[in-house]
Amino acid sequence: MSELVQYLITGVGGGCAFALVGSGLVAIYRVTRVVNFAQGGFAVIAALTASTLLASGLPHGLAEGLAVAVGALTGLLVGLVAIGKPGTPPGAALIVTLGLGVFAYAVEVLVWGDQPRSFPGVPGAVEVFGARFQAHYLLIIGATLAVFAGMGLLFTRTDVGRALSACASNPYAAKVVGISVTRMGLVSFAIGGALGGLAGVLVTPIQLVTFDYDVTLIVGGLVRPALTLAGGLLLGVAQALVAGYGNAAYQMEVALVLMLAVMIWQAARKPIAQEEPA
Amino acid sequence: MRSRVVRWAPGVVVAAGTLALPPLLESGHLSVYILLGLAAMVTIGLSLLMGYAGQVSLGQASFYAIGGYTAGLLSVHSFPPVLGLLAAPVAAALFALLVGVPLLRLRGHHLAFATLATQLILLSLVGQADWAGGAIGLQGIPRLSVGGYEFAEDISYAYLTWAAVALTLVVAHNVVASRSGRGLRALATSETAAAASGVPVGGYRLAVFALSAAFAGLAGGIYAFYLGYIAPGSFPVLLSIEYVVMAVVGGLGTLWGALVGATAIVLLIQVLNTVGTQPGMPSYAPSVLSYAVYGLLLVVVVLFLPHGIVPAMQRRMTQTLTVGKR
Repeated sequence: MSELVQYLITGVGGGCAFALVGSGLVAIYRVTRVVNFAQGGFAVIAALTASTLLASGLPHGLAEGLAVAVGALTGLLVGLVAIGKPGTPPGAALIVTLGLGVFAYAVEVLVWGDQPRSFPGVPGAVEVFGARFQAHYLLIIGATLAVFAGMGLLFTRTDVGRALSACASNPYAAKVVGISVTRMGLVSFAIGGALGGLAGVLVTPIQLVTFDYDVTLIVGGLVRPALTLAGGLLLGVAQALVAGYGNAAYQMEVALVLMLAVMIWQAARKPIAQEEPA
Repeated sequence: MRSRVVRWAPGVVVAAGTLALPPLLESGHLSVYILLGLAAMVTIGLSLLMGYAGQVSLGQASFYAIGGYTAGLLSVHSFPPVLGLLAAPVAAALFALLVGVPLLRLRGHHLAFATLATQLILLSLVGQADWAGGAIGLQGIPRLSVGGYEFAEDISYAYLTWAAVALTLVVAHNVVASRSGRGLRALATSETAAAASGVPVGGYRLAVFALSAAFAGLAGGIYAFYLGYIAPGSFPVLLSIEYVVMAVVGGLGTLWGALVGATAIVLLIQVLNTVGTQPGMPSYAPSVLSYAVYGLLLVVVVLFLPHGIVPAMQRRMTQTLTVGKR
């Protein structure tokens, strides 16, 4: 029982990171129709920035905040390249972000070397129902809930959020009422970068920053907001359970197969809804 | 008449050049030449898939791997090597059909993610399969022999490879020129319109997926015999991305574009390797350089040369020709 609780909590913690990266992807996708293959790179860059800032003596909190800002800036830059040139179709922008993701990897290795890094998170351990786990997991879960609530407020209660939603549902009509669709697209890229960066900063203390963010890339299968949180959490828990009860070597396969299953199931449910370029 | 000469001349020149080159190259360059031919075969298939069927595959190296492992495993277990070579494209195509049925329900970026995921799963399964050599790889693959003739020298592999390239070009050209090819082009433009005009959308997409996999599988088979050793590490995700870069740079949906793109990228990789292995460079320099250049190249070509090198050159040429006539 206590084992199960422990796996569940560590799984939810890991799943929160998936959900954060995924929600950044969703924000970008809904506004610009671009699937951002560089999303995993935001997390890595922010995490590495945080490790450097902390090592140079900045206090906790400030360093992480700055790192998230760097993530947002990176997102903005990627957005500028991907959608800044007028008339770039989303399909081409997808390949552009793929190129930028590959390029970002080169920059990361150039700046930070090719050794994995980490930094300490919230110290101490917590015991719930006889299960011990690092207190840092609570921070991850709490931060994710706060971010998702904040995103909900942003999209429904603020002008920027409403403009973003308008671009998402009908770019033409948004243009007609005077919203700059490109600028909103860039805003969404910055938000996506910040969310990806947050995920990277939060998760690094419990697992090393590796450059292998292939799995988070796969989260891209979930481009519907409601599914992102649920899917991310499910992914994290399934991974933790497999690692705990089965063979840790199969952790990645489980995540990938799960993602494939969800994507195919989604496609099977609405087979005809294909978007033709206008 | 003149237009026919103009159309066929480049093909004849290229064919003559490929045949004349191998004896002139030294051994290091010859191996680059062979790998270039193999990459061109995969890229031709991918260009067909991306340009005509409108499907992005980020897992093309997995079919290359399947071909290599099929040929390698069969010949290691003392089947005749030529059987292994023939089985390689068949196995890759069968695998594509198998995964294609569920995956091709997905479109655009979903398919790209899914093919990438398939490759990651395949690589890690192969890495844990002891019967396939596991992570260490499959060693001691014999040289290819047909009848009594053994392909012992690099130069024989060069001719074999480029014969296979010619075969893929002919097959791909005939597919494109056929009635089904027209259906495919319609499919790439608008799936709904093609389906409404009676093009069997699902079947055609699956067929092109399998065909592109067969090309990659054949290339993988030759690769296995040529090197005599394959491992999961021989088929990284970067290789799949590399094929996408080659296809995009050369020009999607043009068969010559695949050839030009593969040549450009392979030569570029050689230059980068030379630069990256200079004394004084850190050990990760070659990989960092190639990642950076792939990334930049992909971005620049997609943004500023969206149809690729070959279509851009063709347009330039027809422009000068028509201007000259006036």
